[in-house]
Amino acid sequence: MEIALIGNPNTGKTSLFNNLTGSYAYVGNWSGVTVEKKVGVFKNNIGQLIDLPGVYTLNPLSKDEGVVTSYFLNEAVDRLLNILDASQLERNLHLTLQLLEFEKPALIGLNMIDVANKRGIQIDASKLSKILGVPVVPVVARNGKGCDKLVDVIATKSIQPANKNLVCYGQAVESAIAAITGEMTAKTNHSTRFLAIQYIEGNEYVRNYVNHIADQQKLTSILEELESQLLNQYDTKSLANFIYTKRKEVIEKIVAEVARKGDATIPLSEKIDSIVTNRYLGLPIFLLLMYFMFMLTFDWLGTPLSDALDGLLTGPVTSGIESALGAIHASAFIHALILEGLVAGVGGVLVFVPQIFILFFFISLLEDSGYMARVALVMDRIMESVGLNGKAFIPMIIGFGCNVPGIMAARTIETPRERLLTVLLTPLMSCSARLPVYALFVGAFFAGHKAFIVLSLYVLGIVMVLILAKIFSSTVLKSETSLFVIELPPYRLPQFQSLWRSTWDKGKGFVRKAGTFIFAGSVIIWLLSYAGPGGLEVDMDDSFLAAIGNVIAPIFAPIGFGTWQAAASLITGFLAKEAIISTMNIIYFVPNDASLQALLADFYTPLSAYSFMVFILLYIPCLATVATIYKETNSKKWTAFSMIYAFVIAYVLALIIYQGGRLIGLV
Amino acid sequence: MFESLKMGDKGKIIDISRVGKLVQRRLLDLGITEGSEVCVKCVMPFGGPVMIESCGQCVGIRRKEAVQIEVVRL
Repeated sequence: MEIALIGNPNTGKTSLFNNLTGSYAYVGNWSGVTVEKKVGVFKNNIGQLIDLPGVYTLNPLSKDEGVVTSYFLNEAVDRLLNILDASQLERNLHLTLQLLEFEKPALIGLNMIDVANKRGIQIDASKLSKILGVPVVPVVARNGKGCDKLVDVIATKSIQPANKNLVCYGQAVESAIAAITGEMTAKTNHSTRFLAIQYIEGNEYVRNYVNHIADQQKLTSILEELESQLLNQYDTKSLANFIYTKRKEVIEKIVAEVARKGDATIPLSEKIDSIVTNRYLGLPIFLLLMYFMFMLTFDWLGTPLSDALDGLLTGPVTSGIESALGAIHASAFIHALILEGLVAGVGGVLVFVPQIFILFFFISLLEDSGYMARVALVMDRIMESVGLNGKAFIPMIIGFGCNVPGIMAARTIETPRERLLTVLLTPLMSCSARLPVYALFVGAFFAGHKAFIVLSLYVLGIVMVLILAKIFSSTVLKSETSLFVIELPPYRLPQFQSLWRSTWDKGKGFVRKAGTFIFAGSVIIWLLSYAGPGGLEVDMDDSFLAAIGNVIAPIFAPIGFGTWQAAASLITGFLAKEAIISTMNIIYFVPNDASLQALLADFYTPLSAYSFMVFILLYIPCLATVATIYKETNSKKWTAFSMIYAFVIAYVLALIIYQGGRLIGLV
Repeated sequence: MFESLKMGDKGKIIDISRVGKLVQRRLLDLGITEGSEVCVKCVMPFGGPVMIESCGQCVGIRRKEAVQIEVVRL
């Protein structure tokens, strides 16, 4: 059995999904964290639950919302589980009425009754159930209260909606509905009334669908006639508005019957808002929070943990493997492959797991608490001046963790131009895989100012985004339309369990990649460095890897690192940015990280090290990101553009930094 | 005019038709339309967005759209 979970944004849909399925889906509080269709299996195995993006109506504005409508039209859904926010019943019921018109078995989870009660609203669930004709189960998705009952109801009751045609749209519309449904009889499995209403409302997805199965000209003439009739007869702006008003009348009647309003207390949320979105303090507070996040990740907490893990890997783990290999009398080849290839390559990436998890923890915290939407509000003025909107800042912050989900999060941006711009620019956000490279280099060359140097790279990424957004939006991506309306959900105290879940969900990809991609890559790179035109076990400088690196190394000479080692690691860095570290660990093989840093001093100066880091920050997005850009833009042209412009910008900037730095006497 | 409202002021929307079509539609989704009571919660500096509250929910919109909304002070 397939059950679709659907509701408005910020109604606790994803929390409910996690509670019902026990799976590790992502929990967020910013409208639109669920950007992909996610499927989970119910804890008691009664079927599959599909998590749909949050929508206010089935008539979509953004691509993200279109996912829901095309799911309804094109896939077989057995049951609908509609989650409502009890504290925003009026708004939530607009969607519910449309869902009931779809005439599939449905039930309602009435969430956030606790919030509603605090705001002085009492809701009679059984009365609501009676009026709507479907079961209504009160739940608190955050702590799982009522979820067992919800599962029981889903599993056992026959929940075909009992009441049909809850909304009567008035004589004129109803006769148009009858005419349109007449055109569609026996041509579709969906509810024809639902299709007709959505058609009249102007739902593009439904119009396409209906035009395919029925006579387009007849339908258009029905629609035009209705439109002129309504606009003459009533004081209404459009068909969509008329339908909205009719639904609203019904909803007002329902709410008057089921809800009682009493005294409300001023929510804590508003008190916090008066500070963090304060006219003047908003931006400084955000920057301070980011600074705090970076200090914790790189200096105060992350580095000691990484160092401890590094000590463990290079000490006991390496000697343990060494003695194990000795005990089984492994050949010298196997010995070198495992210690110089795998332990150096995979281990070199694994030591950064603590820092990456701390960073992901903070990103999850920003999402779950509701602060992310405030950041979008605070940043909108700046983003608007470069042709973007504040919402574009959210994919970019997620991009700090990993560019791939960042680019996917851009789906919530309504206008296609701003969305494309965000997709193209998000890769300039320094993702967590680039972090190991910085960590290694700042450790070697900028020991006294670690967090400051790393922060400067992150800021450089943001500054480049702003400059390029301005350039692109006034040249290749010109357009006037921009849309910025953002819902600011109330603050919620994040729960440790869901924070940990979403941190783990994001971080496990990094660990998995180390075990698969980096593992295989390390073996290949080590083999390339071990073998050469002259046979096996050659000197590293005569290996295949050196030969490959030497071909492109001259390109990088003007920007300070024209060595074959740097060139070879940049090539592998296209596959995955953290592969740069694996490659370096293998190339400059030394028993532990500390002396690798000492060795780097022979190949780089502080200036060329900084130039190298800037280059890593900006040059070509990694393979997974390029694939995602292609998937999201569906255009080879823009995908190629995203790779080329990034490379050019990286080269130019590194050139300015290196040559400029030398001119003013830096080394 | 929205401009006449200061932070903390309450008003009732009487005309929203001069706002851009897309913004109008999105505000409608959020239940904000003619007849809705709104309260200005916060105005960001340098012509930045405004945060308004209606029926217990907070929404951010741009200043240039906000000034197109006709409101009467309550």
